[in-house]
Amino acid sequence: MKKFAIVAAVAGFGLLAPVSQAHHSNAMFDTSREVTMRGMVREFQWTNPHAYIQMVVTGADGREVEWSMEMGAPMYLYARGWRPRTLRPGSIINVRAHPLRSGEPGGVVVDVTDADGKAIGTNQ
Amino acid sequence: MRWAAIAALALAGTIAPASAQEPMDQTARTQVFAELPYWPGYWVSEYTIGTTIGGAAPALAEARERGDTSFFRNFMSLNGGGASWNEEGRARMAEVRATAQGRKADGWGFPMMMNAATPIVFAITPELVIITNSYGETRHIYTDGRPMPDELDMWPTVYGTSVGRWEGDTLVIETRMVTTPSDFFHGAPPYSEDAVYEERLRLEGDRLVGDYTVTDPARLSEPFHTQVSWLRDEGFDRMIQIDWDNDRTSFDGEFNTIEALAVED
Repeated sequence: MKKFAIVAAVAGFGLLAPVSQAHHSNAMFDTSREVTMRGMVREFQWTNPHAYIQMVVTGADGREVEWSMEMGAPMYLYARGWRPRTLRPGSIINVRAHPLRSGEPGGVVVDVTDADGKAIGTNQ
Repeated sequence: MRWAAIAALALAGTIAPASAQEPMDQTARTQVFAELPYWPGYWVSEYTIGTTIGGAAPALAEARERGDTSFFRNFMSLNGGGASWNEEGRARMAEVRATAQGRKADGWGFPMMMNAATPIVFAITPELVIITNSYGETRHIYTDGRPMPDELDMWPTVYGTSVGRWEGDTLVIETRMVTTPSDFFHGAPPYSEDAVYEERLRLEGDRLVGDYTVTDPARLSEPFHTQVSWLRDEGFDRMIQIDWDNDRTSFDGEFNTIEALAVED
C-alpha cells in the first residue's frame, strides 16, 4: 500500500509518466472521455517536444473557439506516416481527442480524419 | 586568487595543455573497426514501442489497465524513482516534485536521454562512440584509451564527460561531471555533480540492453542499479534533429495543461 502510494505520488508530480511517453505527465487529459471536434486547421505546429494542431471550431452558438490539440513528438509522427505538411491551414478536419480535464479548449489527439471522414496519416 | 593559484601550478609544471590523442595508423584502424560491434537502427525504450500519434505507448496503457506497475522498472527507470536516496537526496527529490508542475524544459539531458521518448542512434568507431537523439542531444564516449579528465578539470555539463572501453561486445561507459540532471529536466533525478554513472551496453539478440549503476554518496545511501532495454521501432528512416522550442506545458493550479497559443497571430 505504501509502495503504491509512493508510485502514485511520483506519477502525479510528473516525475513518471505512466501512460504517455511524453515529457510531461498525461494526467492533464481525461483519458476516460473522448470528444470529436470538427474545425478548420489554423496551424500545424510540427515542433518538439510536442506537435500541436491549432484548429478553429465553431460552436452551436456560432462562436469560434481555437483548440490546441496535442500530439507526440515529430519523430514519432514521422514514423507513423505523418509529415510536416500533412495538415495544411484552411483544411477541415475531425479530431478525436481526450480533452483537458480543466475544460480549456484542448486535448490529446487519438486520431484525425478529413472533412469526408477519411483517415489522415496513420496511428500505427 | 584563483588565477594566481592556476598560474603557480602552471609554473610548477602540473598543468599540461590538452592534447588530442595520437591518430591511429589507417590500416590498423581498419582492422580494429572490423572487430567492433555494429548497432545500426533507431532504438527506442522497449516499453515505448508503437507509440501512437498522441504520444501514448500501447504497452504502458495495457499495463495500466491490468494494474501492473512493473513496467516502471524499465519505463523511465533512470529517473531514480527506485533509488535509495539519503536525507539530502530525499530533500532534493521533494524540491523537484514541488516545482515540477508546469515546468518547461530544454531537452532530456543525461541520463534521461537514454530512457526518453525519442529514438537514439549509435555511431561506433574505434576511438569514439557517439550517441544522439532527435532533440539534438549528443554524447561523445571516448574509447581511445584516454583516462577520465583530472578532478582539476571538473567541468560539469548537461551530458557529462564519458570515457569507454570494450569488454568483448559490451561497451562499458563511465560518465562524470554531469550537472544535477533535475536542474535541466524536471523529470530527471537530482544527483549531485560528483555522481559517477556506469553503463554496460550490449546486444542480446534484437534487444539492446544497458545495465546502469549510479554512485553518488552525496545524494544516495547506496549505489542505484537499474536496467534499460531498447528495440528497433518501425517507421524511422533517418535521424532528424529538431529544436526543443515549443514546450507549451503549463499548470492550471490542479493539473498541468497546455499553454495558450504561443505563436503570433
